[in-house]
Amino acid sequence: MTVMQFPRSKMPPHGWQAHETQEIVRACAETLASGKASGWEIGETEAGDPQLYLLGPAPDFDCILCVSRLGGLYVLEDGSGRILFEHPNLMLLAEQASAAVRRRKAAMVAKLVLIWGAVRETFEEKIEPFLAEPIELVTHVAPQIAGFA
Amino acid sequence: MVGGAWMQFAKTAPQAKELRRQAGTWLKELRSRAGLSQIQLAERLGLKYYTFVSQIENGFGRVPTESMEAWALALGVGPSEFARRLLSYYDPELHRLLFEVKQ
Repeated sequence: MTVMQFPRSKMPPHGWQAHETQEIVRACAETLASGKASGWEIGETEAGDPQLYLLGPAPDFDCILCVSRLGGLYVLEDGSGRILFEHPNLMLLAEQASAAVRRRKAAMVAKLVLIWGAVRETFEEKIEPFLAEPIELVTHVAPQIAGFA
Repeated sequence: MVGGAWMQFAKTAPQAKELRRQAGTWLKELRSRAGLSQIQLAERLGLKYYTFVSQIENGFGRVPTESMEAWALALGVGPSEFARRLLSYYDPELHRLLFEVKQ
């Protein structure tokens, strides 16, 4: 595979412009306000292409989303390097970033529901029979004990 | 405003973040030693863009477990040694239990 490169002459000004960061951060404002993201930071690639990282909550503060500008193209990736969106229009990309953090939230809820289901199923299959046995035993033995008394 | 919140957060930057940054520095050194640019490394890893390499080297991302071997080979390091070193940054407690606690 060939890594996409962009000629320097077509590059916009070095680093992020204020309106660009504002647009991206605005798209993630809800996630930041809810605490699902703890903050954001900017950086750049070796070639000087700007990047903005949206960071997850404590204790790991892992990168949730990364927006990069390569030439005139904006690239949205998640923290695992999966490309979620690529487009020259920043507003469209900001919308996608907002949708991506919402999907992430939904995926986390789905994961919790799945874990809860698995725990409940394990409890019903493995633990409940152990609890049921002593009760059954007491039910059988109780009349005999009562007879001795 | 958000930037201000970030400044406040940065003061309490935790160990995990610092260790990721150290991992990024180590990876950058390996890449330099291998004589590769970020773009060339991304090419070797079969990535469409080189931005993920930068994300990791800047200390904001982790090398995914499933691609550790590919990274190691691209950087000319043994996969086992590479994974062990990365584990010391990404999960130091597990690394300690696996490799440092004496029997």
